[in-house]
Amino acid sequence: MMQDYTEFMDEVLVDQQAIDKRVRELGEQISRDYAGEDLVVVCLLRGGLTFTADLTRHLSLTHELDCMSLSSYGTGHYASSGNVRVNLDLMTNIEGRNVLLVEDIVDSGRTLAHVLMMLKTREPKSVKVCVLLDKKMRREVPVDVEYVGFDVPDKYIFGYGIDIDEHFRHLPFIASADLARYKNTAD
Amino acid sequence: MQDYHDILAEVLIDEKTLQARVKELADEINRDYAGQQILLICILRGALPFMVDLMRHLSVLNAIDCMAISSYGSGARETTGNVRMNLDLQTNIQGKHVILVEDIVDSGHTVAHVLELLRTRKPKTLKVCALLDKESRREVVVPIDYRGFSIPNKFVFGYGLDLDEFYRNLPFVGVVDLDRYVSNEK
Repeated sequence: MMQDYTEFMDEVLVDQQAIDKRVRELGEQISRDYAGEDLVVVCLLRGGLTFTADLTRHLSLTHELDCMSLSSYGTGHYASSGNVRVNLDLMTNIEGRNVLLVEDIVDSGRTLAHVLMMLKTREPKSVKVCVLLDKKMRREVPVDVEYVGFDVPDKYIFGYGIDIDEHFRHLPFIASADLARYKNTAD
Repeated sequence: MQDYHDILAEVLIDEKTLQARVKELADEINRDYAGQQILLICILRGALPFMVDLMRHLSVLNAIDCMAISSYGSGARETTGNVRMNLDLQTNIQGKHVILVEDIVDSGHTVAHVLELLRTRKPKTLKVCALLDKESRREVVVPIDYRGFSIPNKFVFGYGLDLDEFYRNLPFVGVVDLDRYVSNEK
């Protein structure tokens, strides 16, 4: 059986109320910025699921929703390697359309940079990025991120869509983990 | 694109009722799987908001995964035979408690096919959680273990369900006024 998260949680970085408020603000801002425009919202799976579901609920403009699933060609975490592999591509043809990529967290920026490069080859009208969390001090490549929920320190983070070994995505807040106290005891 | 107000005939299930029922379903799952670990499978893209809300109320240890499927035929996927897997699970479900999360079960063909396929991988248990059940349209028998709402045979949208890919973000389930809806070619 998996550990209870309270056993390895370091601290709550962003509580539920703060997330709800900020997500609503971002939704309102995006609704203003794209008023009268066409928009395709792209959820990057799986970390972006929760954020996308909540963010789009606060969009007052009519938009389309699509998903992409990515992984690495290398070993380990895909953000650390070079090219990204597309496991699920967009159903939507984005040529001539406004695209908003929604991601849970940006750290090195490599994945986002690659996805942006790739999507731009399809000649969308515009591509922008909305991330819930920005780990700025980890950035290795420059990426323009138009909408940021929160800046976060370089800690191991979980909750609100972000997993530790696939668990704890359901938690309504964002917390940091004390890895010394964490044991992966999942089956 | 039209504003949803222009094409909404009626709100079938309002936000408050939806959220209350989603919480009840999660409570039921929490009781049924107490002390166990479960894997929720979100069938993209329709089940996305439902799964996210459902997951938030879970107290049992859970993981999520996604599947994207489409039809080999033309037209709506519900109408044809085999399903094509566009995105398969990342997780090996062998020996796991699995719950398939769907926005709506209509003819039942899609869910039946996905269940058949997943069973070949020998999960410990495999159940279905569907927000909406259009029973009057059923063509094949599908066991629905967790059912949000039984609904009449109307053209519904919102809360994950689209109308030509739009309106999935609405927090309620509405009925489309087809007389006023203008399908636009993109």
